[in-house]
Amino acid sequence: MKATWVRLSGIIGAIALILGAAGGPVPLQPGPALAAEELKISLVAPLSGRWARQGQLKKMGAEMAIDEINSAGGIKALGGAKIVLREADAGDSVEKAVSAAQRVLSREKISAGIGSWLSSFTLGVTEVAERLQVPWFTLSYADTISERGFKYTFQSSPVSSLQAEQALDLILDLAKRNNQQIKKAALVGDNTAAIVFFFKPLREKLLKAKGIEIAVDEVWTPPLADATALVQKLRSAQPDIVFYGATNFPDSIQVLQKVKEFGLKVPFMGVGAWLVTPEYVQALGKELLDNIMSVTAAHPLKGQEELVDKFKKRTGEPFMTQDPLMTYYHVWLIKEAAERARSTDPKAIREAVTKLELTSGAAANALAPGRIRYDERGRRMWAAPIIVQWQGGEPFTIVPAELATRKPFWPAAK
Amino acid sequence: MTFADLVQYVATGLLVGGVYALMSIGLALIFGVMRVVNFAQGDFMMLGMYLTYFFAIGYQVDPLLGALITIPPFFALGLLVHRVLLVRVTGGGDPQREMDAQLILTLGLSLIITNATTMILSPMPRGIRTAYATQAFAAGPILVNQARAYAFLMALLLAAAVYVFLTRTDLGKALRAAADDPEAAGYQGINVRAMHGIAFGVGIGLVAAAGGLLATYHPIEPTVAVNFIVLMFVAVVLGGLGSIPGAFVGGLLIGLVQSLTLLVLPFQLQNVGVFIAFLLVLYLRPQGLFGQRMRSV
Repeated sequence: MKATWVRLSGIIGAIALILGAAGGPVPLQPGPALAAEELKISLVAPLSGRWARQGQLKKMGAEMAIDEINSAGGIKALGGAKIVLREADAGDSVEKAVSAAQRVLSREKISAGIGSWLSSFTLGVTEVAERLQVPWFTLSYADTISERGFKYTFQSSPVSSLQAEQALDLILDLAKRNNQQIKKAALVGDNTAAIVFFFKPLREKLLKAKGIEIAVDEVWTPPLADATALVQKLRSAQPDIVFYGATNFPDSIQVLQKVKEFGLKVPFMGVGAWLVTPEYVQALGKELLDNIMSVTAAHPLKGQEELVDKFKKRTGEPFMTQDPLMTYYHVWLIKEAAERARSTDPKAIREAVTKLELTSGAAANALAPGRIRYDERGRRMWAAPIIVQWQGGEPFTIVPAELATRKPFWPAAK
Repeated sequence: MTFADLVQYVATGLLVGGVYALMSIGLALIFGVMRVVNFAQGDFMMLGMYLTYFFAIGYQVDPLLGALITIPPFFALGLLVHRVLLVRVTGGGDPQREMDAQLILTLGLSLIITNATTMILSPMPRGIRTAYATQAFAAGPILVNQARAYAFLMALLLAAAVYVFLTRTDLGKALRAAADDPEAAGYQGINVRAMHGIAFGVGIGLVAAAGGLLATYHPIEPTVAVNFIVLMFVAVVLGGLGSIPGAFVGGLLIGLVQSLTLLVLPFQLQNVGVFIAFLLVLYLRPQGLFGQRMRSV
């Protein structure tokens, strides 16, 4: 960890030196927009290493939006300019992600960027984007991403601390409507950034404020060697709900298999979109997943059936989740901004995004509540977490109720 | 903490350790005979997991059997890799330069295998769904996961087979001779180069089988090796570099220590226990548990 930081600061230092010597961020001064010029969007996401699957899903969403836009005549205000995707592999470390962003942004004129899934990657990549003045759109959750006063970073998910607070209210409300009381909770998850930031407020104040006791609090460093001891603790403590953050797929599979093996019946509430991906069905089967819930930043809503069908048809994926949906949204958002800016200039696009207020169109329809605006920190206003539940081998939106695709089912605790 | 809890922790640790043990034997064999540190060992394990997966999905072969079937093709693959690549950097020449070349070769091989698998088979994790992965043998309050129990027994059987092969067959004895003193073995008419190939083949076959057993309860993805490769090396060094029984005991010990650490330390520090044990062994017995003391200069 320390070595990573040392190396990261080294890279940042080197970049700073180069830029300093050049007397400021001179590379990449974009020229004026030409008719039917291409608008280049860069996607910096993990395409190799242990998060490659997430990068692959993100790419699918981006490509779908680009195909839609280009086949409908491109960006009209720019004489039908087509959108082109420039992808760069963020790999499996912050330094790789930062150098990928550096490479892709300085090689040619990029109008806007998307990425990089993991909060720690996004923190590094947005530093590069800020310096090179390219607007950057991310689905990462960490609060710190939009707390640095950056002008070019736009965070479209509700931030972790808000998610925890809002999700707890939503969950308690859901339990109440199903005549269940939550008195004891368990916090079980790994020590990756998004989970740590979600659990922290729950552990320190939120649960206590609601009169909920923390019966189990176990955090591990992935990979988990074996889940027996963990699930044993859950079995003897008998919590009413488990807040669950096993972002490493093999860890999560081991825990859920063990829950089945021990015959444990307790509602699981995951933290993030990692728990609602198709590979879970393949590895665990429908029955084992049934009723497991997860809090995510985006998931297909009522009225998006056509979009989801289209996605399934082109990719062969069994359903659509946060990662492709968010990149799909981001590409459409950039398109809307370019229409208003009448330019492919990244600064003009950033300017347009800050003034944007969308209530219709593909971008606005992609996310709840169907109204898009970014505040002065670059956070999407009215962004609220969505609760998803596995039912019959597919995850469905169950909260917010007015946009839900299925009714929630609260498993009776024993 | 009751006695039953303690028994449960020990049982869990041994079961986890059994598969670590089998993984480590292959690495120890390769090092013992060839003096090559194979950084791609974990990636061959990953390939073994995929082959077992394809047997299971394509031909409904139970992964426990599938693990056994992976041995011959991986033995052949090992021979091939030795013949085409490793032979160029082993046996003769400046030992220091050879060692550098071996490191670069096996590390490069590891990178190529991981990334080629990501490209060809996609990064999507896969799993073999077996009924026994979520069932347990119950002995009073103690639960023993069936998948892990079967995998443990298979690992024991395979390790025993390797032991018999090395101590009771002529080929095994020749292998050991080539490991002990390549020059003298050569004078006795043993083809040391062929022995290297066989050692590499058997080492790869064993780790592929360990992968197959692992696949009964662990998902398969191109990067799965990173979760295990460090533990394999620790097991091999713990047991004494190159010692087969040492690697086996080392693997078992790691599982046991990982499990028992949880009695005193939180989950986050699970592997700290392993490394403390590792340092202790190195401090008290630098040659490893089963290693022979090197002649000092």
